Amino acid sequence: MLRPTKPSSAVGGGAPSSPSAVRIDGVSFSYPEAETLALREVSLAIPAGVFVLVAGPTGSGKSTLIRTMNGLVPHFSGGSFSGRVLVSGRDTRHTRPRYLADVVGFVPQDPGAGFVVDLVEDELAYGMENLGIDPLVMRRRVEEVSDLLALENLRRRSVRELSGGERQRVAIAAALAAGPRILLLDEPTSQLDPQGAEDICAALQRLVHDLGLTVIVAEHRLERVASFADLAVGCLGGGEVVQGRPADVVGVLDLGPPVASLGARLNWRPLPLTVREARSHVQLSPEPPARGGRAPGKARASVKGLAAGYDNGDVLTGVSLELHAGVVAALMGRNGAGKTTLLRCISGLKKPSAGRVLIEGALPAPGRNVALCPQAPDSVLFRDRVEDEISVTLAAGGLPDGPGPHLERLGIAALASRHPRDLSAGERLLVALASIAASGAGVLLLDEPTRGLDLAAKHRLVDLLRIYAEEGSAVLLATHDVELVAQAAERVIMLASKEVIADGSPEVVLGDSVVFAPQMTRVLGPGWLTVEQAAAALA
Amino acid sequence: MHPGAWVAWSAGASVVALSTTNPFYLLILFGASWAVQASWGGRSRGVRSFRFFAGAGLVAMALRTVLVVFGPVNSGSIVIALLEGLRVAVLLAVYGAFNSVSDASALLRLAPRRLQEVTLAAALGLTLAPRFAETAVQVSEAQRMRGLGGGRLLRRLPALCVPVLESGMEQALVLAESMDARGHGRGPRSRYRPQRFGAWSWATAALSAVAAVAFVAAATAGTGDLLVASAPLRWPQATGPLVAAALAFCAPALWSPSAR
Repeated sequence: MLRPTKPSSAVGGGAPSSPSAVRIDGVSFSYPEAETLALREVSLAIPAGVFVLVAGPTGSGKSTLIRTMNGLVPHFSGGSFSGRVLVSGRDTRHTRPRYLADVVGFVPQDPGAGFVVDLVEDELAYGMENLGIDPLVMRRRVEEVSDLLALENLRRRSVRELSGGERQRVAIAAALAAGPRILLLDEPTSQLDPQGAEDICAALQRLVHDLGLTVIVAEHRLERVASFADLAVGCLGGGEVVQGRPADVVGVLDLGPPVASLGARLNWRPLPLTVREARSHVQLSPEPPARGGRAPGKARASVKGLAAGYDNGDVLTGVSLELHAGVVAALMGRNGAGKTTLLRCISGLKKPSAGRVLIEGALPAPGRNVALCPQAPDSVLFRDRVEDEISVTLAAGGLPDGPGPHLERLGIAALASRHPRDLSAGERLLVALASIAASGAGVLLLDEPTRGLDLAAKHRLVDLLRIYAEEGSAVLLATHDVELVAQAAERVIMLASKEVIADGSPEVVLGDSVVFAPQMTRVLGPGWLTVEQAAAALA
Repeated sequence: MHPGAWVAWSAGASVVALSTTNPFYLLILFGASWAVQASWGGRSRGVRSFRFFAGAGLVAMALRTVLVVFGPVNSGSIVIALLEGLRVAVLLAVYGAFNSVSDASALLRLAPRRLQEVTLAAALGLTLAPRFAETAVQVSEAQRMRGLGGGRLLRRLPALCVPVLESGMEQALVLAESMDARGHGRGPRSRYRPQRFGAWSWATAALSAVAAVAFVAAATAGTGDLLVASAPLRWPQATGPLVAAALAFCAPALWSPSAR
């Protein structure tokens, strides 16, 4: 059952009872100059040797909570801190993060930003060197973590040349190599394709089972992690934190995974967390819903025989496709399949080595007929007010209308006078997208926009994309997030082996995929994509 | 070779470059930088780094010369400006070669523990500088997507600087946080790849030191035609021992792994 976090609350249900790896007693914390508490009277006891999921909406304190467990809060953050955190018996108030490094490993949200040295192999050893570990032991551990996270081919590479997924694996391996008893990970799957995420979670679970490590993961994409967790911690907002069995915490939060959302609507008990558990509630598979779908508009972008690459060869060859007005299309594929390269070619940022890209019959003109919303929305925003961001773009394009009606149309007028920095990650993305799309470009491209977004923020993003499509834009969204694609896309383009290997409706392309099938497809079969469809049919 | 040996090499070469405007010695040093970089700098990033610094050196040299034209001009002042520009170019080439053969972050880890706070700052700078450039590219691409690509630089500046500085600050924080969480500055360190100061390192360090001393001695004694006189302008001479000393900086190329 769920436990309110009172000081006496003990170990969560189902977990093996053993001395606490992390014990938090009555911790309240607020950031410097913040008016509200990020954590309010939090008490947790996390036993050793369990896989812990920390879940909750954006801004509910997940990152703050896991940072208290290695002393970064309050030693690095500043702010006012009361209560006590014991990590392997050490009080973080009196122990700086560096003196906890032998028991706690930490992988930040953007793994590349935490890299210190140049070569992958040296990066793996960096933490061990700081701990003064014997060189022979270091050699052995570097071998072991390289095997565990499949880094053999990357060891002599520079960390700066790695892809997002590779960086994530190197960061986890580097944390592991230092030999901690507790591993803290902040959104470890946000950069990974579904298969890569599954592999990482399975590797982490093996460490828990085989070596008795305590793994604590803060994550938004519950469909990827919830089934691995022994124990869950829910950040409810307002600094309130609960702990309990994963199914109970997930039920309280109502942030997915899709199988749990479906179970909650149909009152299934216990709430399913895995596809298998959900399937046991479904006796007869109903007929899949009829495909609605509007007819696509005219082609706004056409790509013919495109090849493109970098110094070490082509990443894409012979890619041909058209993007149509009124359609939200998703571009999918494993890490390194060339999604970003294709978006850069269509947006005119990169010259193809062969073939051509035409937007409305003309060459791509970034900010005129085509626009690409980058991975980090923060690289777009620079004004003090949201409406000024929109005005800047409108003025640059010589467009007559003001920012007000623009924001109104998109349903984000409430943000108009806010400072972009004070917005949540999800709201910043919406504003960044709106200020790029205000250029009036008929082809809108988005590169992996859902990092750090919770379910509610993703729904708002989907709404915004629909509005743009209905107004006649062609939208192409590169993402690893299959559940988002199931919600938002009317067409899926799949890249692999440098080519387009599938192009069609999500029902068809995702329907028979082992890796990319959304959870509803896995529970009910091809043709089912969203929780809404399934709940309506099964109710 | 030990990173310390490369420090000795680049320090020696810099002392020599600073002590003279004689084009013979400077050109030998430039050649030595190229040879060292070509024989030891295996990684592509290293080569790019040398090209970048050598290129920056040539630009600096051109600028230095052009600036003189705005003052009272005579052939002497232009030649002197050209030679002083050459000296700056050689210093940059030496630094570029150093950068391409040694990993600066590896070097910082050799620093004594008492300097941990200083090395932390230096490591942050070294790691963030290239990322700064990457962020700047990302931001300028993002602003192009809003139609803010063209126009005068002054008007585009806030759109570039605000996001670059903000994300730079954020990255510095994340990096400092990550270094602390990974035990930076905690106590005696061990080395993953212990680097011995072997025979070739000693040879490099010793030759560099001797050559630097030779030039400093010549400068103090006022011999060897180190500084080119402008009035009257006279073609400088090169003396045998100092040519040999300058050539000593090419020596590491002889014992690079590819040459051995």
